[in-house]
Amino acid sequence: MKLTRFAAAGLMSAALALMGGVALAQDAPSVLVTTINMTADDIPTIDPTLSETVTSVDVLNHLFPGVTMSDVATGELELGIATAITPTPNDDGSVLYTIDLLEGVAWVRYNAESGAVEQVTDADGNPLFVTAADAVYGMTRALDPATAAPYSYVLLPFVTGAPEFNAGEADASTLGVSIVDENTYTILAPDSAAFAPAVFGLWMARPVPQIAIDAFGDSWTDPANIATYGPYALKEWVRGTGGSISVVVNPFWAGAENIPAATIEEVQWRFLDQPQAFAEYEAGNIQAIDVPVDQVPRVQADPVLSAEYYRGVEPCTYYLGFDNTEAPTDNVHLRRALSYSIDRVAIADNVLQIGWIAAGWFSRPGLNAAPTPELNPDLGVTFDLEFAQAELAIALEELGIANAADLSLTYSYNDTARNALIAQVIQQQWTENLGVTVAVNPMEGSTYFSTISEEHPGIARVGWCKDYNDASNFLYDVMYSQSSQNDVNFSNAEFDELVSQARLMTDTEERRALYARAEEILNEEEAAIAPLFWYAVNSLIKPNLEYVPSVVTNQAYNEWSFSG
Amino acid sequence: MTTVNKSLPSPVVKLENHVKGESLWQDSWKRLRRNRAALLGVAIILIAVLMALFASVIAPHPYDRQTLTATNATPYWVTRIFTSMIPQGEPGGYVRISDQYLFGADSLGRDLFTRIIYGAQVSLLVAFIGPLVSIIVGFIVGLISGYVGGRVDNFLMRIVDLMYAFPTILLIILMLAFFRAGFGDLEPGSFGYIIGQLDRQTGGMLFIFFGIGLTSWMGMARLVRAQVLSVREKEYIEAARSMGTRTQGIMLRHIIPNIVGPLIVAETLTIPTYISYEAFLSFIGLGVQPPRPSWGAMIAEGAQRITSYPSQAVFPALALFLVMFAFNFLGDGLRDALDPRMRGVD
Amino acid sequence: MTKFILRRLLWMILVMFVVSVITFGLMRAVPGGPFSREKPLPQATLDALNAKYRLDEPLIVQYLVYMGDIVVPRIGPQTVPSADEDYLIEFQLPAIFGENQSFKWVNFGPTYSARGRSVNDIFRENMPVSAQLGVAAFLVAVSIGIPLGVAAALNRNKWQDFGAMGVSIIGVSVPVIISAPVLQYLVGVQWRILPVTGWGTLNHLILPAFTLGFASSALIARLMRASLLQVMNEDYIRTARAKGVAESGVITFHALKNGLLPVVTVLGPLFAALVTGTFVVETVFGVPGIGRYFVTAVQGRDYPVVMGTILLYAGVLVISNLLVDVVYAWLDPRIRFD
Repeated sequence: MKLTRFAAAGLMSAALALMGGVALAQDAPSVLVTTINMTADDIPTIDPTLSETVTSVDVLNHLFPGVTMSDVATGELELGIATAITPTPNDDGSVLYTIDLLEGVAWVRYNAESGAVEQVTDADGNPLFVTAADAVYGMTRALDPATAAPYSYVLLPFVTGAPEFNAGEADASTLGVSIVDENTYTILAPDSAAFAPAVFGLWMARPVPQIAIDAFGDSWTDPANIATYGPYALKEWVRGTGGSISVVVNPFWAGAENIPAATIEEVQWRFLDQPQAFAEYEAGNIQAIDVPVDQVPRVQADPVLSAEYYRGVEPCTYYLGFDNTEAPTDNVHLRRALSYSIDRVAIADNVLQIGWIAAGWFSRPGLNAAPTPELNPDLGVTFDLEFAQAELAIALEELGIANAADLSLTYSYNDTARNALIAQVIQQQWTENLGVTVAVNPMEGSTYFSTISEEHPGIARVGWCKDYNDASNFLYDVMYSQSSQNDVNFSNAEFDELVSQARLMTDTEERRALYARAEEILNEEEAAIAPLFWYAVNSLIKPNLEYVPSVVTNQAYNEWSFSG
Repeated sequence: MTTVNKSLPSPVVKLENHVKGESLWQDSWKRLRRNRAALLGVAIILIAVLMALFASVIAPHPYDRQTLTATNATPYWVTRIFTSMIPQGEPGGYVRISDQYLFGADSLGRDLFTRIIYGAQVSLLVAFIGPLVSIIVGFIVGLISGYVGGRVDNFLMRIVDLMYAFPTILLIILMLAFFRAGFGDLEPGSFGYIIGQLDRQTGGMLFIFFGIGLTSWMGMARLVRAQVLSVREKEYIEAARSMGTRTQGIMLRHIIPNIVGPLIVAETLTIPTYISYEAFLSFIGLGVQPPRPSWGAMIAEGAQRITSYPSQAVFPALALFLVMFAFNFLGDGLRDALDPRMRGVD
Repeated sequence: MTKFILRRLLWMILVMFVVSVITFGLMRAVPGGPFSREKPLPQATLDALNAKYRLDEPLIVQYLVYMGDIVVPRIGPQTVPSADEDYLIEFQLPAIFGENQSFKWVNFGPTYSARGRSVNDIFRENMPVSAQLGVAAFLVAVSIGIPLGVAAALNRNKWQDFGAMGVSIIGVSVPVIISAPVLQYLVGVQWRILPVTGWGTLNHLILPAFTLGFASSALIARLMRASLLQVMNEDYIRTARAKGVAESGVITFHALKNGLLPVVTVLGPLFAALVTGTFVVETVFGVPGIGRYFVTAVQGRDYPVVMGTILLYAGVLVISNLLVDVVYAWLDPRIRFD
């Protein structure tokens, strides 16, 4: 009955609204509404330990900053809630990291009744602060097999005893993480990988409130139960498409060296598809959005919108993986022919038009120690038709195939509008440039992802985005012959040696030289993959906002402000 | 929409017709021919069918030929209709102007007009096969159920309930994922492999038809049964039965003509539903496989760029709209023509 | 009548059972799993996740456990709400059952795509939104569709007829994926009359309800027109006319009532489809309903949500069809329940 009346009233007000026009409430300028990095779907979780999507991390960075963070403007690693991280090398090659936490960081919770952020207290009413115990608990929880944290595997190579504990073969006491005093803890890393501190600051390694988790279990992240400590506190979470998550300034956050206290009163992320976010942006209800891909040329041309437009780096690479062990893509000359005959620039400039850059290699420039076009001008795959055709001729001879058209090739991808576009262009380019016919095979997303990790199809599109800001996260973590992510079955002794060596070195330029050589092997000599594009982000931000353009995908809204 | 025809045969003539034993179908055909709106519908559908059949002859370009230097190229006149599409060169202009293509080109520089012509192939097939499956299965089930009644009715209607209880689109999604994955990986030579290849050859259409067909007959069955139920109690059926006419005879002679009208209307109305299923499947990435065009897929793709390039959605939508109009005119005409009580009306 | 309804309700249980078996089988036969990712998870992590959700057990055990959680009532201490244990029906029992014992029933399990959330949470938070939108859209559909159909039938082959049918053809042949963003852009962005997206006020309801309702009204209008035309030629209408009943009376009391029959047949499934939410309208208008979960759950292999939403739909549909049958009997007394 209630529903019916509601609906009937809706119809009447529809009529009234059409006649009179209804003034829409404008958001107060103290609230920033954003959809950057969001999708139409609800955020899966804001539990740092369990998060695995950009959407989750973007929000939780404001609630649970790490001991280290990437500077959003430069991508460089800097201290977060730690005041110092001191490595002490041991004789056996392992390194003991001593981490000092900022003192007096309060656990807080938003009180919906009073509308204020309050300190969380223990049973006796004493306020609680973030301690070394919380940090150790967070790391232990992430590695505990019972937690089944999807991203814990990133930590495994960096914490002594973690692989055994995570596999259920040893208990938590064997883990190389220990509390020294109230604000100091240590992590024993099995080797000297220089970027270990970057990993220690990742979301799954962050301090979490044991008191709330013990009391509320899975639902500890509900606004009424949660305890956070970052520059913002969780206010409200409306679940489902079109919903939102809101955070308010945490007055107890005094600011860390690199994590300033927030000036914008409230930040709200809305879960909307890009076209709807764009409509809301035009209507003035959302202040920061990702531009829908098809709107980019229009935005760039529009006199008003182009002034609010911002194009940034996104640390991801789009590539084609060849099956390096199965015919016919086990033939290196065929792989080279395919890779060198793709006109990446034409696709990026004429079809995608979203600022994606034709990629010559795998590790995205901008990552720490990754080769860059400026420093390594001769590196990488280019569009070289003559070379590609010569390679194809050799390949055909070796494969004993008379005619290029007799090659049987399939290009698989998970079916999205963009993947379909790119697949169709490349299909045509291969036909025109090499005379090979390639079948395109769009697959339903989940089917596709489970297929490529089990049995790699001949040619498959893949994307890889960084977990932590280092070239090793691309070259060692994905392409090392023993890596679980190495779906293309690439194996090259020199490459393995280079990336293993570079992983443990400290000098960035020396490492870059090794990675450049590794990329040369991966993309040019072996052509194990065909790198295609480096991603870009396209955002619109209202002119009354002063913002920090991000090169690390995630945003730091505590560094934004309204200019008046 | 029957055109009023005042020169309908007088009752006397009609009586003579019946005496001569002119069949219901001949009679209906006569009436359909006099219905100009329906004939217009037939003409449009015929044109669309011819377009689909002779696409390779009519189309000015190959449907899959991309011209990367002409992506989203739009003729000038189109930007005059959709004024939000500002041509390059004007302030705020972003639309590449080119008169090379009649309706412009899509995001890969493929001729929209060509793709609309080829798109008719898939969309008309959906429009014919969807209803065909649903009519054949639904009609048989509904007729038996409604006429025989009792346990048989109960049993059949429970099956209908059961099938109905699945959300159609969800069932299609599950089945599509299942079939495509299941038939994609089989050993060459097996029956399943052939089916999988057939699907791939037809750009994924086979399984889409299969999914739509399997999930769409229940409404028809229910409708048929409901009509049979309300008709079978009528006096003339009683009369026929008491005169000893056999069951099939009763059904064919009396029930079918009585229920055919609403059924055709319902079915012509569900044709757009089938086409929009196809569009929706494209929208969520399960539609016909590229580069094969279909109106649904084109609309789905255009819908995502509707504010920057509205013409890319509107032209295929217009094609769909025209064909829908035609099907509806024809449906109405058929209904009037097949309904025996419509004689002498107006 | 009561016996009939009872029998249909019993039947509903059987339907739900068969639906659950078929869905479960089909869902698990489709390749891919809830943890298939673009960045594949290592085997150890997959094993841990599968163990957590008991996906490593034999299928038949998984099915029985799952159905058991839904169907079998439990008595035990009050539950701490968690994703794994969250009952739709839970209340404190009187002391004779022991101290602090609660009656607990219907647990649809956790969703795999959002940690700490249960399928029941989705039902509680997102289902009411879809239901409100669905009821509003249904009313829009009926209140546009039936008058249009009647007007068309009464003015056969006049301009009213052509106009009404033209409107309905537009309604049926313009896919919602086009009409929703166009309406949104015009009304929300250009004219600024109504909110662009969101939920919570009556104004937020109007655009999505209209978009959804208008698309469905076409079907109703066309069916109404066809069936009314047919009924108007029935003997009893002629008789009524001959008896001198006023034309409006004829239409209202005889023709309309009988003409509604075929329309009512389609109203049941239409109602069920509308109140359980729709993917496109919810996505475009940012309505936090349950419709989007139907599709994203299948795509993400979120098995409990797929099962939960399909069973929900099945339940709503069986009940609305039951209502249709009752209305049918009221409209056409010749149909008896036996």
